[in-house]
Amino acid sequence: MTTDAAALQRWTWGLRLSVLLPVLLLLGAAALVSSTNGSLTSLVGANPPPADELEIRRATFHANEISVLVRNPQRDAITIASVTVDDAIVPFTVDGPKRLGRLRSATINIPFTWVEDDPYSIGVTSSSGIQSTIEVPAAFEAPAPSRATFTGYALIGFLVGIVPVVLGMMWLPALRRADPRWLAAFMALTAGLLTFLAIDAFAEALELQASLPSALGGPGLIVLGVAVSYLGLSWTAHRLTKGTPTGDGVAPLAGVGLATMIAVGVGLHNLGEGLAIGSSFALGEVALGSVLVTGFMVHNVSEGLGIVAPVAEGKRRVSSLRLAALALVAGGPVILGAWIGGFITNEILGVFFFAIAVGAALEVVVEVGRYIARRAAGGLTSGAVVGGFLAGLAIMYTTSLLVG
Amino acid sequence: MPMAASLPVAGLAQAADDPGNGDGPEASAAADHQQGAHVGPDVVAPGERGELDALLIPPPALTAEPGRVRHYEIVAMDRDIEVAKGVFFPAWTYNGTVPGPVMRATEGDILEVEFSNAGSHPHTIHFHGIHPANMDGVFEIVEPGESFTYRFPARPYGMQLYHCHAPPLKKHIHKGLYGAFIIDPPTPRPPAKELVMVMNGFDTDGDGENNFYAVNGKAFYYAKFPIRVRRSELVRIYLANLTEFDLINSFHLHGDFFRYYRTGSTDQFEYTDTIMQCQGERGIIEIDFANTGLFMFHAHQSEFAELGWMGFFDVVDE
Repeated sequence: MTTDAAALQRWTWGLRLSVLLPVLLLLGAAALVSSTNGSLTSLVGANPPPADELEIRRATFHANEISVLVRNPQRDAITIASVTVDDAIVPFTVDGPKRLGRLRSATINIPFTWVEDDPYSIGVTSSSGIQSTIEVPAAFEAPAPSRATFTGYALIGFLVGIVPVVLGMMWLPALRRADPRWLAAFMALTAGLLTFLAIDAFAEALELQASLPSALGGPGLIVLGVAVSYLGLSWTAHRLTKGTPTGDGVAPLAGVGLATMIAVGVGLHNLGEGLAIGSSFALGEVALGSVLVTGFMVHNVSEGLGIVAPVAEGKRRVSSLRLAALALVAGGPVILGAWIGGFITNEILGVFFFAIAVGAALEVVVEVGRYIARRAAGGLTSGAVVGGFLAGLAIMYTTSLLVG
Repeated sequence: MPMAASLPVAGLAQAADDPGNGDGPEASAAADHQQGAHVGPDVVAPGERGELDALLIPPPALTAEPGRVRHYEIVAMDRDIEVAKGVFFPAWTYNGTVPGPVMRATEGDILEVEFSNAGSHPHTIHFHGIHPANMDGVFEIVEPGESFTYRFPARPYGMQLYHCHAPPLKKHIHKGLYGAFIIDPPTPRPPAKELVMVMNGFDTDGDGENNFYAVNGKAFYYAKFPIRVRRSELVRIYLANLTEFDLINSFHLHGDFFRYYRTGSTDQFEYTDTIMQCQGERGIIEIDFANTGLFMFHAHQSEFAELGWMGFFDVVDE
């Protein structure tokens, strides 16, 4: 018998119970504390009264109706008691109970003949009389989900995501004939643009989480999202390289494998782009949406280039079907993101998506870095690599001004 | 033949003359605005039918009998009151309501008010009228658990009021410590259906602005339960403004005119359908309704009206 088996045998019931014991004791202690019903905390002073202020997430205008999405941001339940439009009490209905538990949301529907382009101030008062207000600078009809808008978002996503990526990929034949130093520069450029995308998504995630009630733990959500995607992709990359025979340990990811990783990283970032486009249309910033579409198209061309750069170095031919699949992986998520952003408002999901994009982009930067370090002449500090990386950042920064 | 008025509006046919009489409550209720009921049981308002009667209908006037003692017991107490449907306000009250109970005396009566403070803050009662300085409700602050008896001859006749005068004054008034105080003239006023209306507001979220407005403390209460009056009977309203934060409040009657006696201390009146009162101002309104039907009354500040200060008279022939 091996020592392993002996160790297994020692997992007696008593031992198992001893593992469970702290958990059981913890449950008991927690129950004891909560059963004291606040008399423990009253030793150190009274809790301040709850703010009882509802958080108004958004107001949308439909034919003869205003919809207001509210959330209870506090621990204690809040009851919706009264609703005003421009300081006048109005009748309303709630799509569910008027009493909202912790972090619960509800939609308030107000029958109202509103005036296009007029500003409105909508107030929601809780049963303890605390009023929250949302100021709408100009009322406009919210786009209702329909087949047309669904197709519209898909078309916009196609234009913004897939078209520029495919255009960028069309540089592949030229890349194949390029000098190895130039190839290294293009790989570095890819790393530069992915670094930019990671920081961009991180800023988006931070901004969005700041609008969440603190009880929803925005920063924790970002850490979780970044870690999940970074480690998930690391694990995948490791699996992809396992089959490659190498002399010295784990080889860096290369060729189609690396291209796939870049496509995934870019794709996850583009999901966030889609969210931004979809929600800007849904919130009626249509002009901004049109600018975004053009801007993102220019912005995303370089992503196609980045994806095919590792393929160019390998001498093996890559089928156009595989290239199409890569374009779909990188650009397709814009469509998905536009649908999500256009039809669903969920900041939690948004924060998580952006965090995932951060982790993915960072992981791919690391993969590309390892590739350059091993394969490129002069390694990471060669002029071509440094210049390429800086050029990648500069291109992304310049084209991002188009969507700013 | 009615003469066709030539109004400067092109293409509009002249509206047919409407006798406008006998428009029953059913007919009016059916004409509800699409955005919600204006009048009747569907109006979103707190309270039950008859709940505010003690505040709306004053105790009867007594004939003059100089030296008679009119005794009232007033207790200041903290109480959560429903000021608009589903909205509760942590009020400071006299006898549990906002406004407090209607006090009434005839000129020459000795008003004796036994005031005890069951609230959590020091309070007083400051009466408007003519009285000694030590009965003014300013210096004799009544601490929680303590009491004080105000005693002085009631004069002059008119619509007076009372409120707490403990500092900070603004807080003690907007929290609800005020009420109507009627002093009847030695020569009785003509018989009438008498009503008391104290215009007030509630700042429920503490931002120094009223969130709800009302007469007698409940937003839209008299829209839900219109005040039924007979056309043949004179309607007399003792009206006071105890709204805090807003400089003025007003009373506007639909479909009729009324006589307005400022403070009600002389027989001088104005014939109008809209009057305004600054904070602490009050007066007496007398209406001889010309028509039956539902007649709205409200503050002519549209915001106050739409935040609760709106009601109806249901004028009937019986």
